[in-house]
Amino acid sequence: MRELSFHGVTVRFGAGRSALAAVDGVDLTVPAGSVVGLVGESGSGKSTLAKAAVGLVPTTDGEIRLDGAPLRARRDRRRLQMVFQDPYASLDPRMTIGASIAEAVPGRPGRTGRAAEVARLLELVDLDPSRAGSLPSGLSGGQRQRVALARALAAEPDVVLADEITSALDVSVQGSVLNLVRDLRRQLGLTMLFISHNLAVVRYVSDVIAVMYLGRIVEAGPAAEVLTSPRHPYTRTLLDAAPRFGVALDDPVPADSELLDDEPPSPHDPPPGCRFHRRCPIGPLTVPERTVCVEKDPQPAAADRPHRAACHFASDAAPASLEVPAR
Amino acid sequence: MGRAQWRAALRNPVGAVAAGLLVLLAILAIVAPILWGDAAEATDPAALSQGSTSDHPLGTDALGRDIMFRVLVATRYSLGLALLATAICVVAGVILGVLPAVLGRRSGRLVVAAVNLAVAFPALLLALFFAVIFGVGARGAVLAIGLAGAPSFARLVQTNVAAVSGRDFVAAARVAGVGRFRLIVRHLLPNVGEPLVVNATVLAGGALLAFAGLSFLGLGVQPPAYDWGRLLGEGLDRIYINPSAALAPGVAVVIAGLAFTLLGEAIAQVVGIRTTRRILPRRSATPPADPADGASTATAPAPTEPAPDAVLAVEGLRVGFPGAGPDGWTYPVDGVDLTVRRGETVGIVGESGSGKSLTALSLARLAPERAVVTADRLDVVGLSLAGGDGDALGDEPPRDDPAVRKHLGTRLAMVFQDPMTSFNPSMRVGWQLAEVARVHEGQGRRAALARAIDRLRTVRVPAPQRRAHQYPHEYSGGMRQRAMVAMGLMSEPELIIADEPTTALDVTVQRQVLRLLREVQRETGAAVVLISHDIAVVAQLCQRIVVMYAGRVVEELPADRLDRAAHPYTRALLGSVPDLTTDRELPLATVPGRPPDPASRPAGCAFAPRCSFADDVCRADPRLATVAPDQRAACWHPRLDDQKQHGQEPHGQEPHGRQPHEEGVSRA
Ligand SMILES: Nc1ncnc2c1ncn2[C@@H]1O[C@H](COP(=O)(O)OP(=O)(O)O)[C@@H](O)[C@H]1O
Ligand code: SF4
Ligand code: SF4
Ligand SMILES: [Mg+2]
Repeated sequence: MRELSFHGVTVRFGAGRSALAAVDGVDLTVPAGSVVGLVGESGSGKSTLAKAAVGLVPTTDGEIRLDGAPLRARRDRRRLQMVFQDPYASLDPRMTIGASIAEAVPGRPGRTGRAAEVARLLELVDLDPSRAGSLPSGLSGGQRQRVALARALAAEPDVVLADEITSALDVSVQGSVLNLVRDLRRQLGLTMLFISHNLAVVRYVSDVIAVMYLGRIVEAGPAAEVLTSPRHPYTRTLLDAAPRFGVALDDPVPADSELLDDEPPSPHDPPPGCRFHRRCPIGPLTVPERTVCVEKDPQPAAADRPHRAACHFASDAAPASLEVPAR
Repeated sequence: MGRAQWRAALRNPVGAVAAGLLVLLAILAIVAPILWGDAAEATDPAALSQGSTSDHPLGTDALGRDIMFRVLVATRYSLGLALLATAICVVAGVILGVLPAVLGRRSGRLVVAAVNLAVAFPALLLALFFAVIFGVGARGAVLAIGLAGAPSFARLVQTNVAAVSGRDFVAAARVAGVGRFRLIVRHLLPNVGEPLVVNATVLAGGALLAFAGLSFLGLGVQPPAYDWGRLLGEGLDRIYINPSAALAPGVAVVIAGLAFTLLGEAIAQVVGIRTTRRILPRRSATPPADPADGASTATAPAPTEPAPDAVLAVEGLRVGFPGAGPDGWTYPVDGVDLTVRRGETVGIVGESGSGKSLTALSLARLAPERAVVTADRLDVVGLSLAGGDGDALGDEPPRDDPAVRKHLGTRLAMVFQDPMTSFNPSMRVGWQLAEVARVHEGQGRRAALARAIDRLRTVRVPAPQRRAHQYPHEYSGGMRQRAMVAMGLMSEPELIIADEPTTALDVTVQRQVLRLLREVQRETGAAVVLISHDIAVVAQLCQRIVVMYAGRVVEELPADRLDRAAHPYTRALLGSVPDLTTDRELPLATVPGRPPDPASRPAGCAFAPRCSFADDVCRADPRLATVAPDQRAACWHPRLDDQKQHGQEPHGQEPHGRQPHEEGVSRA
């Protein structure tokens, strides 16, 4: 397992008026042997970032490195494997699951070698190896997602990118897939970028949490710290809004202010200055003297702030501790 | 295309006839030249250009050769040439079709453009053009017809391949390092095979006709060889002397062409490329109200009087579809009881397929056309939509009774998961809202629009004046959801049913929509039924929670008693969803197996195969029974301890061959 890092990665789509930067100058490191959770609302660019890493979309700018060496050739890309959101779409319906997995096994092992490898991988993801001959249609969503994981692991990747791998699953099987991710990580020391819009899911599996907003990483840091003392108001908002047992909807949180009932900004036309300023509970709409938020982009100096937060006031925002009544 | 599908294609009458004809033609093509090859060449100087005689039933040609034998013998050549042309067309088409997927972006686009240009050119002209290039004769004609058909086949391949290329499994194979060639052979072509087979079959019919045409014009087969086209050409010269000389080869061409085309159609029907209207059972084909085996004993035996302030009182609601169940029907909703009082907020939770949405749709009389809805009681906002012994709602009162529509339209509001599909995309949002007031309350245009703007303001859509004049697509998901709630508020609803209203939204927006529902409920006194797969979402908003599993209510409890849930399934749901306080060191609880398919729901407790407390008793149907004040559970062994003591559950996983009882949803 090796370290994956993004350096100023930008991905643009379209041209002219419809052009947008789905990913805009992202710096992010996934240290060897750790799981980095990437959260953010849909459309913030999480999937695009992962696809750029595995070469499914071309980057416009920046560099993606594996242990410091830029990824270039196709051969390098195989070192990264991606698991997709929808296990009903990510397996070829015409191919047995054994064949799908075998396809990703590197080199040219003989027929028996390949079968043994498939059996080992199925075992690894808690599936019965005798099911290698089944078609995906005979499997439940949770089982398919296990197959997809096995296929990713078959390539002996250095890094696994998991894009919303539990979102399409029923809640009663989501837990088993998350448990599997945790177990695999322990057994194999996986390096992983784990993408989800669900903060609770990300929290459960990640060592580091990175928060994405409108194509940018606005905060990144050790999971426990980001969750207990978020430095960016957007992270705070996400934490406040996450449904929690025993916490009533009525207790207002800063982000419930009517002032902030605005449309989420469009990636085609990001707001000037801080991209979050129109929805920020401690930004210019609620604290009028904070004009700097409209005038100056907080991104460039982010590296100097705690959690690399893209907020002018990250350092002096009182670390808002997260008080959660025990369930 | 699987073996079963081929068989189905043949069982289809059109397919059977077409396949029979083709088999006949194939046999003819093989044996005719052997049996009658010489007879067809034999000249009979005594019978030149004769009409029908006993020796020559279809007459003879100018050299006295027997026309019947000649038509039969020509089968081989005609079919062979047509198939050859088809093969050329398919091979060239597939190559051109997958080329864009193999080449880089730029050269790929070039190929697509070239193919599109060629498609725009009439195929017959193209064929004539090629025929001139390749020279007159059978070889030239085969090439001409094959290549002329290639562009449109290539485009078919291109569009199909492009559609499949966009799917995740192709991306996954790319990421796994599968090479381009293998990608095409293993992933792309097999998944576009069906439409290609169908079109190739139809194409063969077309090639046959085209070939006959070229030969007829003298551009195809040259003497002394002959095919049906040439025979037709010769016969036509003497049509007044011997009509059958022209008719026989003509009929042969038509029959063979038809056989190919019909077979293609039959295959297409079976693989569902061109869906034909299926015949549905008439709505009056009501399922038995109560199956003899008492499978619906979960419902109360006799309807009891509902609470006087109930805005919704449902007993024994069943929704059936014609399907694979034991009585020819499947019941995704199978005996739901539900009462909602004025001003109450009730949450319905359950996994996908548990029947939540169908229940909601049935309440609003929006169940799909094919569904048959029955209930012992179905009182919705003061209107009795069913009663007595399981009336089918399809009969009485009629589905589109305007009085019922109006009543429901003004007192019941529905909010769906995807508000985009609930709005008319071509109509401004404000006007759509206004229309509700105009239709149901007969308000004037201006007053209705003013009310619409007022409602948009109520749901905190910013700048409602301006936004009322925008189209739905100009709204973001969260704003559309607000507008949907506003639409429900155009009249004064007593009941708002929201089906997964926040599933497509982000947590921040989700919170806003939930708070909005709460506010609306407080201000208007309307009852709210919130349906969701996420028990945490439901617990936030609702006072009472109803848990559904496999088409039934398995537990009903106050939200603040969730930690004392009695049904093992409710506990499993709670334990398997991580929240921000879940212990990261412990594995999450899991439920082995998966929810049952409505067509094969196990007898007795439907949760039994996944439940670690199941025993023999559970083979009988558990009814909803009171286990604590305000709490009812349908379980023979309700859990009555405090779930907190359990913490997280032992590690389990989906079973593979293991006994389902081996690992449980809770520590026994
Ligand atoms: N192929 C594409 N062409 C144009 N826009 C795209 C394409 N793929 C993604 N986008 C846009 O890029 C932005 C980020 O999308 P995505 O990476 O899917 O976000 P996330 O995974 O965080 O939901 C969105 O605005 C989306 O509409
Ligand atoms: S820079 Fe200003 S607007 Fe942006 S997040 Fe910080 S306080 Fe809010
Ligand atoms: S204990 Fe029996 S009745 Fe209760 S849920 Fe389990 S199987 Fe069903
Ligand atoms: Mg995504």
